[in-house]
Amino acid sequence: MTEDALLSCRDLRKTYGKDAGLVRAVDGVDLDVAAGETVAIMGPSGCGKSTLLHLLGGLDRPSGGEVRLASRRVDQMSERALARLRQDAVGFVFQAFHLMDELTAVENVELPALLAGRPARAARRRATELMERVGLAERAGFLPTALSGGQRQRVAIARAVANEPAVVLADEPTGNLDSAATLEVLRLFESLHAAGQTLVIVTHDSRIAATADRMISMRDGTFIDETRLTGGTRGDLGALAGLEGWS
Amino acid sequence: MQQEVVLALLAKEPSHGYQLRARLRQALGPLGEGMNAGQVYVTLTRLEKAGLVVAEQAAGLPDRPDRKVYELTPAGQQRVAGWLAEVSWPGPAPAEFHLKLVAAAAARLADPLTIVDVQRRELLLRLRDAQRAAMAEPDGSEAGLLLEGLVLRLQADLRWLEACERHWTSRRDGS
Amino acid sequence: MSRLRLVGRLAARDLRNRPGQAVLMLLAITAATATLTLGLVLHGVTSQPYQQTRAASRGPDEVAYLGSPPAAGLAPGSAAPAAGTKLVKQVRSQAAALARAPGVTASSGPYPLAGALVRAKGLTAGAEAEGRDGAPASVDQPRLTAGSWVRPGGVVLERTFAAGLGVGTGDRITLNGRPFTVTGIAVTAANPPYPNLCYYSGGGCRAGPPGNGSPRDIGLLWLTRPDALSLATPANPVTTYVVDLKLKDPAAADAFALRYDEGFGPPEMISWTGIAAADALLVQDEQQVLTPGAWLAALLAIASVAVLAGGRMTQRTRRVGLLKAVGGSPGLITATLMAENLVLALVAAAAGLVIGWPAAPLLTSPGAALVGTPGAPSLTVPIAGLVLAVALAVALAATTVPAVRAARGSTVGALADAPRPPRRRPRLLALSRRLPVPLLLGLRLVARRPRRALLGAANVAITMAGVVAVLTFHATAGQRVNGGGSGLSDPVYNRDEQVLLVLTVTLLALAALNAVVTAWTTMLDTRHPAALARALGATPRNVAAGLTAAQLLPAVPGALLGIPLGLGLFAAADHGGRLTVPPAWWLAVAVLATLAAVAGLAAIPARVGARRPAAEILQAETA
Repeated sequence: MTEDALLSCRDLRKTYGKDAGLVRAVDGVDLDVAAGETVAIMGPSGCGKSTLLHLLGGLDRPSGGEVRLASRRVDQMSERALARLRQDAVGFVFQAFHLMDELTAVENVELPALLAGRPARAARRRATELMERVGLAERAGFLPTALSGGQRQRVAIARAVANEPAVVLADEPTGNLDSAATLEVLRLFESLHAAGQTLVIVTHDSRIAATADRMISMRDGTFIDETRLTGGTRGDLGALAGLEGWS
Repeated sequence: MQQEVVLALLAKEPSHGYQLRARLRQALGPLGEGMNAGQVYVTLTRLEKAGLVVAEQAAGLPDRPDRKVYELTPAGQQRVAGWLAEVSWPGPAPAEFHLKLVAAAAARLADPLTIVDVQRRELLLRLRDAQRAAMAEPDGSEAGLLLEGLVLRLQADLRWLEACERHWTSRRDGS
Repeated sequence: MSRLRLVGRLAARDLRNRPGQAVLMLLAITAATATLTLGLVLHGVTSQPYQQTRAASRGPDEVAYLGSPPAAGLAPGSAAPAAGTKLVKQVRSQAAALARAPGVTASSGPYPLAGALVRAKGLTAGAEAEGRDGAPASVDQPRLTAGSWVRPGGVVLERTFAAGLGVGTGDRITLNGRPFTVTGIAVTAANPPYPNLCYYSGGGCRAGPPGNGSPRDIGLLWLTRPDALSLATPANPVTTYVVDLKLKDPAAADAFALRYDEGFGPPEMISWTGIAAADALLVQDEQQVLTPGAWLAALLAIASVAVLAGGRMTQRTRRVGLLKAVGGSPGLITATLMAENLVLALVAAAAGLVIGWPAAPLLTSPGAALVGTPGAPSLTVPIAGLVLAVALAVALAATTVPAVRAARGSTVGALADAPRPPRRRPRLLALSRRLPVPLLLGLRLVARRPRRALLGAANVAITMAGVVAVLTFHATAGQRVNGGGSGLSDPVYNRDEQVLLVLTVTLLALAALNAVVTAWTTMLDTRHPAALARALGATPRNVAAGLTAAQLLPAVPGALLGIPLGLGLFAAADHGGRLTVPPAWWLAVAVLATLAAVAGLAAIPARVGARRPAAEILQAETA
């Protein structure tokens, strides 16, 4: 494994059922994510990308292979150690947001800190800072039902980075959002990337994938292809827009 | 297309060429930066020859296109009205790429999947650029709207490329 | 007709799809109906015994006590009481006069009454010994329930008395020091049964042994006439004879008694209605225990059903929405839902009747002068009807009202099937932030569903009330039992204890069912927040502790409230008798045991839930 990889896995596998009903959700995946990198994993539904993300973050146990985060073996950790991991090292963003409906935005954001045992005041202070950072300071006291989809996901992202995790894992973050809300979330991801946050995003939205440093295609539980999205484009946007002959 | 655009821009009031150029720049944002400076004047001269605009020489200035004030003629106004009422839409143009893949597969010139992957990377990069440009625009800017249109079309094209990949993969696996 | 079939098919499918919930609902209603059946059957049985005994033993309408008054009670200056043969002659002429009195159709006696000190199996008690003939009497021939009638050297004991002494046919006892054999056990309608034999004679029985034994420690037995007379001692001679009368008009017994009773002293007339009342004392106690107990059980059962119904409601709402969306009318939907509940209620009613009816005889076995109770008491149609009605009412009331509401509500809303949004309590949230993580989670979970927390507290309170009432009974009865300390078992106490035992077991079973139901529905409701908490970094131990705390927090005030509730319940059932508060350590143990049970029952689903990967739960459910 690459020594400086923050998050990596080798021959990762997850199967369900048995015999005729055997489903290989994740079938031998190798991945290395360097610190500060944004990796996008794209694929059709049912290809196992969400399962892969859950395995990487310790939300589920693999059937085989290993996962390392900051050089700790994740797949062998006890439930308690995994909980610690989720407190310090991993932040999750879900497609369905999964905010608590009876808590205000800022109360949702401070929840991971409270669950990690941090003092209430420090947790609230950090949460308020994060609300500002995602541009929702004036909606800190709103309930999720009073927020739009894009705003809710931004709150969820703020919650994910509340404990300053080493890596943020996002599972179809714009799956439930329209294009305007997607733009809001895109901006946020870009700003996180610029701040050096390591991101692994599972998505079928190419707009999200376009913000990544690397895009990996996945199908039937394995990686098919990897594209490095660095370097300039050879094409001309003007021509795409229909402005041929104008220059 | 450029002729009709210039005509329409003149509909509000007679303008200098440089004013028109500025207006275009504003509407196109970063995509207008590649625009040739003299292009507008060439178009204006053509329109004048076609009788759709008339040029007025500002008194006391030399007879140069960039000093003239242009104005719509009635014929020009009619042309603008007709253009505004048109509903034709520049359609997507996937035929060339599609045929490229078919030919490559039939003649075994190249692996269609490789062609698709290369194109996909290219489009992703363009999507990235367009997206960055779009996000750099302030909210509500006209250029931002144009860029969003680009982004969405690139998205659609990428989706089609995914479909192409699925099709050609199953063709390969099945055969 | 096709609509009916459609309703039937939909109802059947719904029941088949969710068998677990249907079974739990069934259990809860069955528990209620079984308890109700038991109570009703017992009520029927225990309110009939005197009549049965009267019919079986040719019970008298009037009992006359003739002879001379006890010497101690004579007013100074009155004539000395007759004794010996003079007394016998006086009594005989009085008895003949009574037999000829208008309204009297038959008489038997006079029978001598002697006082005796009974020693049997190490116990000592007093007895009234009635001297009888071997041939059956025309009025008041005690009905044998075991053995045979009197013979020389043999005694027949009244049944409750025999049970109190622990004596059966063939045992040897001594009366006033002389040995006798028990030849039989019988019941009579002419006297109230032990320990109420002396109920109508105030301070001492007519022919009780001297001494300072409690009047409750005196029982009735029969011997041959010579044997009875031989029990007389100079200190305690035979001074009273008893004559049993049958009247043409039994309803006029009280008037007859008034006419012939001389007030204090013989002849003393007791009419059958008075004896029946004394007999009923034994039974009243039982009913005092049964009735509140049955109410408690019914309340717990209804609480179970309510929690279950609430839990089923959320899944049902979406089905209702689907039915409406494909064209079902509110009427059809209501009919379907009612049909399901009807089936459950019918099955539960039948099950309750089947369980409660044979259980009744278990409670009516020895200890009371009841004739005809061995064997099953009759299951009358009114009882069955009442039980069925109650079962239907419980099932329908608990589930139909919300179902109708759902049927009439908005289709779109129902399809979206958002469960009621959790409540927000800012003050509790603010408070919980400063608590350690398990309490933080527990308090927040409670704050989400305050109504369910309240229901949980109510369950614990009701259960606790039952347990405290039982403890209070033991503490109080322990003080009241037989002041003379003769050691005889008090049949009233025994019966009450038995009934209470059954009720306590029923209560505890219902409470456990209740707790399981609550824990299960709570687990379903808290699955998502618990999974989310784990995804956000809460340790599994904290999450399990939080879930347990969420159940315990409402249980604590419930348990504490149950103590005064239980005391009040006992006081109400006891009709204001003085009660003894159970010792503090009994109550403390009861509270701690209840809380431990709640915590234990909550921990099971908590640990089961903690094993399932959080990812699955989060994928499956939103909020």
